[in-house]
Amino acid sequence: MNITINNVDNKTLVTLDGRLDTSNADQFQQDIAPLMEGDKPNIDIDCTGMTYTSSQGLRLFLSLQKSVMSRGGKMVMRNMNPQVKEVFDITGFSNIITIL
Amino acid sequence: MKLDMHGEMILDQYRDNLPVYNKIKDLVLDTLRKCLADNSIMIAGLEGRVKTEKSLTGKLELKGYKYRTIDDITDIVGVRIITFFSDEVDIISALAEKLFDIDWENSVDKRKMLEIDRFGYMSLHYICRLPKSICDDPTAPQMNSIRFELQMRSALQHVWANMQHDTGYKSDVEIPIHYQRSLNRLAGILELADEQFSRIRKEINDYRRNVQSLVASGNFDDVPLNGDTFRSYSQLQPFKHLVDKIATINQAEVYDDSIMPYYHVLLHMGMKTIGDIERLRIKYSDNAYQLALIQLAGTGLDIVAYSVALQNLCIVHILKQGFGEAGLVRMFESLYGPSDYNSTRASRIYQQAQKINIL
Repeated sequence: MNITINNVDNKTLVTLDGRLDTSNADQFQQDIAPLMEGDKPNIDIDCTGMTYTSSQGLRLFLSLQKSVMSRGGKMVMRNMNPQVKEVFDITGFSNIITIL
Repeated sequence: MKLDMHGEMILDQYRDNLPVYNKIKDLVLDTLRKCLADNSIMIAGLEGRVKTEKSLTGKLELKGYKYRTIDDITDIVGVRIITFFSDEVDIISALAEKLFDIDWENSVDKRKMLEIDRFGYMSLHYICRLPKSICDDPTAPQMNSIRFELQMRSALQHVWANMQHDTGYKSDVEIPIHYQRSLNRLAGILELADEQFSRIRKEINDYRRNVQSLVASGNFDDVPLNGDTFRSYSQLQPFKHLVDKIATINQAEVYDDSIMPYYHVLLHMGMKTIGDIERLRIKYSDNAYQLALIQLAGTGLDIVAYSVALQNLCIVHILKQGFGEAGLVRMFESLYGPSDYNSTRASRIYQQAQKINIL
């Protein structure tokens, strides 16, 4: 899983590329640590290149979402491919995380 | 007009005391803010001021003869609490009585001063001192001896007071009688509105309590479906059994999310009472589980949201009613907004439902 983070005009643009599973979840958690700081974050995650997420990934997205909400910010995920979106759908996570 | 010697003496005392006045004002505001927060009381406004030298000079010009020293003037420091509802003024005053030493002799409840056929300024004014429990500084005994005025009024009383003040007249005696009559009519309307707001709020609170007890008693057919009743119902965790069963598919943990987004979906599905949702739950729980089974088995996904239970129940209901993929698309649009993906998802679920014979 490759992740790039860019701050543009008060918005944090995150790009995900590849699989997110048990083998790289720890690294991903470290990679997103900068997103867990700051007031009123506005995080936009582009999932075009993400090919899969395991439940470890769901937990990390949930944890990030909770952190963002507690700081009065917002987070959206967009451009998920249908296979990744299905993981969010069948677990009910589409009801928790804003997916555009 | 120039002040006489007595007035100048009082003005000098004012200048000497100015730092203490500011300290008292800040301490009173801080004390009230903390007390309101501790008691979870929401208010419309809290403001404080120290009377300006110009304003005091004007007062001394008019009636300086009434005061022996500056300490006889009780509104040099003024703090005002504005409540949302008129009946909250009594709650605030009770708190103020606990916090401050009240000079009852000089305090005024203007709400009780009006004749039964008069309308006008309605506000509660307490003249107070800071007790030693709040401020005990032997080097500044004035902090406990100088009095301040605490005004408590509702937002509408505040509106009326400001509007009347804007007319530029200090007392109703000076106002031409037809304007006075107009102002009094307005005061009557605002007083009525204040009462109505309090009454409506009480009725809404009573209604919510009734709904909660009806839901808790299990008389679901007597409970109409609305935002309040659905919230109370959701607190009973009605889909816990189903989601726990779904969680066993992958020995998953359940994340306890809100089912409130499904309120509008249930309305669109024609649910009229909480009893209708209960029937949905009882009738289709097995099918909802079967749907989860075909979706989750073998995926290794070991976390599910609590709302997935209601999500699957709604899907089964829509398919059983014969609304097909189009019905599912409408449900997803209601939840997530329009998107091409909604059709893809509806089509996939429809095929899964065919496989497990729940159409």
